[in-house]
Amino acid sequence: MNASIYWALLMASIKAKMEYRATFIFFLFALIFFYAAQIGTVLVVMSKFKSLNGWSIGEMAFLYGLLSFSQGLTMLFFSSLNNFETFIMQGTFDRFLTRPLNPLLQTLVAGFEVSSVAHFFIGTAGLWFGSRYAGVEWTGLKLFFLALVITGAALIQGGVRIAVSAVAFWTTRNRSLVHTIVYSSKEFVMYPITIYSLWVQVFLTVVFPIAFINFYPSHYFLSRDSSAILLDPVLQYLTPLVGVVIFGLAYALWVAGVNRYQSAGS
Amino acid sequence: MNAAIAHPFAGRAKPVYLNFALKTFQSQAAYKFEYFVGVFNGLLYVFIFTSLWSAIYSGLQSGSDTPFTRAGIITYAVFAMICRISMTMEDTEISSRIRSGDIAMDMTKPVNFFLMNLSQTVGVTMFHWFTRVTPILLACFLAFDLEVSLEPARMAAAVCAWAMGYFVFFLLNFAFALLAFWFVETFSFQLTKYALINLLSGAIIPVDFFPSRLRPFMEMLPFQYIFYTPTAVFTGHLAWPETVRLMSLQAVWIAILGLLCSVMWRSAQRKLVVQGG
Repeated sequence: MNASIYWALLMASIKAKMEYRATFIFFLFALIFFYAAQIGTVLVVMSKFKSLNGWSIGEMAFLYGLLSFSQGLTMLFFSSLNNFETFIMQGTFDRFLTRPLNPLLQTLVAGFEVSSVAHFFIGTAGLWFGSRYAGVEWTGLKLFFLALVITGAALIQGGVRIAVSAVAFWTTRNRSLVHTIVYSSKEFVMYPITIYSLWVQVFLTVVFPIAFINFYPSHYFLSRDSSAILLDPVLQYLTPLVGVVIFGLAYALWVAGVNRYQSAGS
Repeated sequence: MNAAIAHPFAGRAKPVYLNFALKTFQSQAAYKFEYFVGVFNGLLYVFIFTSLWSAIYSGLQSGSDTPFTRAGIITYAVFAMICRISMTMEDTEISSRIRSGDIAMDMTKPVNFFLMNLSQTVGVTMFHWFTRVTPILLACFLAFDLEVSLEPARMAAAVCAWAMGYFVFFLLNFAFALLAFWFVETFSFQLTKYALINLLSGAIIPVDFFPSRLRPFMEMLPFQYIFYTPTAVFTGHLAWPETVRLMSLQAVWIAILGLLCSVMWRSAQRKLVVQGG
């Protein structure tokens, strides 16, 4: 019953974005070009040096493809959180609280990001060329696990965004934090994390587990020697689980934030 | 309309522009949290790219043909990133003033719009030099074995190359910002500009690593003169003839982009008058 209300809110936000069609299409192309240039930097380096810590050019493209595709899924649903501080500052969020609907879902459907098509395009290209050059043989099981991994990776990134947004309940402003944690962190996992020192690898696995977005699951798809993985080979299967856990923790933080926000009466 | 603003380069450099620079410096200093995040971000990027090059070079067989030594590429990566941090610019400011119509107010001021923006950008840059570049530089000197020879002639050339790279960067941003006179939405143009700068400016990969077939085309674009030229001059990567050649090309690009901005500004003003303001 509530679903149709969310659907109506969602369509309203998409219509608002698509209002200027030519501008939107141009934006999509610019976005694709931007990410193509980003993977271009990796490809230039790889074509010059052939191997990065034992990763070939195809495997690097796969790594980037997994990151980009799951980021597209994340952006599709969680983009409105990027400027959540304006929801707080302008009182938009107060309006959400007066409705008998879930405040988080209302926030999310307010900014459904259609331009994540660009990520899907780049991500698919990365996965496609990556699996061709790295010689991945796709089976039904692998495809099923790919869907799980992408969902799990999107839950990790979505959870991070929710947690960062929840900070705004306490501090009102969180834009710089969003920028560092949401955008800059992506650069970390464009490369296999084995290039970093050990404590950074541990950090990216245990504390801020973005290595599960692409690095660990890639070992499974590319049939890489997983004994070289930090800690334990089982990590390559854990992305969906980590996604659920991170998302759950982030949602708990969000609920605590909402409760605190309400009791402040502002 | 005041004659002083008829041309972007008209008007004398007066203390008023120094004031713009100082005011911008002060307003930047007001955001402490932004500052720490900025430094943190800079260190993060230095860390990522030095790790990347170390990993690549430790996997390399000895005798491999590369234009950099291991220490050389680490030095390049550190100073390219420092060069990049030193040149950040608030590049949505001008276009949002054009869209909101505030630009009309700027035009009625008895100052030159181009010089006002340049001095404000210099203010931001001064702020970044003191607060971001210095701590990151210190941290890098402690963390890495950097190969820097403080030969006076080379240092002088590097300062000139940085200043000219800065002008290329500023003029390029200014030209892209002025596009807002003709287009409602300029974010796509900005995005395209970022993409080209990331890939071709030498901020991430030195242009030496591009396939040699592409190099002549890259020389005909302004991007490599922003970060690659000053960094390569400073780190002693270039021999003197090549240094002189690339710095001359920097000067040529300043002239080309300056002319472009001037033409755009003139026709934009005409357009604005046609609309009746």
